[in-house]
Amino acid sequence: MAPDRDPAAPILSLSDEDLMGRVAEDDERAFPELVRRYQGRVTNLVSRVLNDRECADDLAQEVFVRVFVHRRNYRRGSKFSTWLFTIAANLAKNEIRRRVRRRNWFSLDALQEVLKDSAPQLADPTEGRESKMEREQLRDAVGRAITAVPEKYRLSLVLRDIEGLSYEEIAQALGIPGGTVRSRINRARSMLKRKLQPLLRKEGTP
Amino acid sequence: MKCAQVRELFGAYWDDEITQGEREWIESHFAGCPACREEYEGYARTLELVGSLPREEAAPDLLERVLARTRRAAASPDRLPIPRAAWVPVTAAAALAMLVIAALSPWMPIRPRATKDANPATPAPREAVAILTPARTGESRMPGAASHATSRGGSLVADSLFDHSEDVDFILDPGTVRRGHVRPVSPHPSTVQGERAVISF
Repeated sequence: MAPDRDPAAPILSLSDEDLMGRVAEDDERAFPELVRRYQGRVTNLVSRVLNDRECADDLAQEVFVRVFVHRRNYRRGSKFSTWLFTIAANLAKNEIRRRVRRRNWFSLDALQEVLKDSAPQLADPTEGRESKMEREQLRDAVGRAITAVPEKYRLSLVLRDIEGLSYEEIAQALGIPGGTVRSRINRARSMLKRKLQPLLRKEGTP
Repeated sequence: MKCAQVRELFGAYWDDEITQGEREWIESHFAGCPACREEYEGYARTLELVGSLPREEAAPDLLERVLARTRRAAASPDRLPIPRAAWVPVTAAAALAMLVIAALSPWMPIRPRATKDANPATPAPREAVAILTPARTGESRMPGAASHATSRGGSLVADSLFDHSEDVDFILDPGTVRRGHVRPVSPHPSTVQGERAVISF
């Protein structure tokens, strides 16, 4: 008997897809295991897209609740992670749009401030190594620069460069053609590079 | 032009989502174009910075919170946020509006079409109805309504909307009375009291 059909099969040994099949059949052991497997990736994804840790926790929770609520809509045979990231990307997109509507939005001026503060310290030749504070400032600057990239490019960027999805998986998760994924990723990276240019220059300075 | 084409492929080159031919073409271009090479180095450093971001861990109580919510959802399935088809609320609203209109129609003061429906050959004079509103409404209150019609020039024309065998109580439109469009002058005996006229036939 195949493991996905065998009710006695250990949950831990099941694939994501088999687990999701069990969730759809109301096997109470399956859903917590799926959440355990993906909670870190989902939290990281939404956190990097929004650059807002607190909101990321709530949104990650919402993603899994939706997986459960829509469990019977999961198409058997399709890759679970792609379906999950589709839900996560849609919720993140909605949150970005809600923020834009409310003007509760990260401003480019704020980014410039962060870059201004971070760059000189990173380039300081008297520093033999990056202090913890510098590293945090750098990460903060990069995180903010990501959120300054427009939403449609940002999602592709985060799915690719932070979550490591393939172009094909991104195309499926976002419902766009592969060629569009390629151009969006390239565009997003170029935008990010321009935004981080002051940091790159200082870093490159001997 | 060649530089622009090469830069369009930076992403695919970095991700190794590129054909062998494209790879060779880009690398031969880099060999002769320091500007593109430098541009690509900046591109690569940007991606290294993004890749160096630490991974955010899930909240320690995330699983617990999710399970609490799913248990609540399972306990009261009618509270599940299941999306409904967009046409459902629209159709429901339209049906409700129709019901309200149907329910209120007997009390609606102006019903120019009702008479017409009862007898297609007796069109209701809109202006007259607007000016003279019968105080007694409803079909049953006007048993002879629109029952008298005469033929003029081959077409049927109503000579009255009301039963001539009984008094008809009218409420005169005050605005029209003030403008003098309606005067209580009639070949029939009539009594006008304030804004109310009782015409006996």
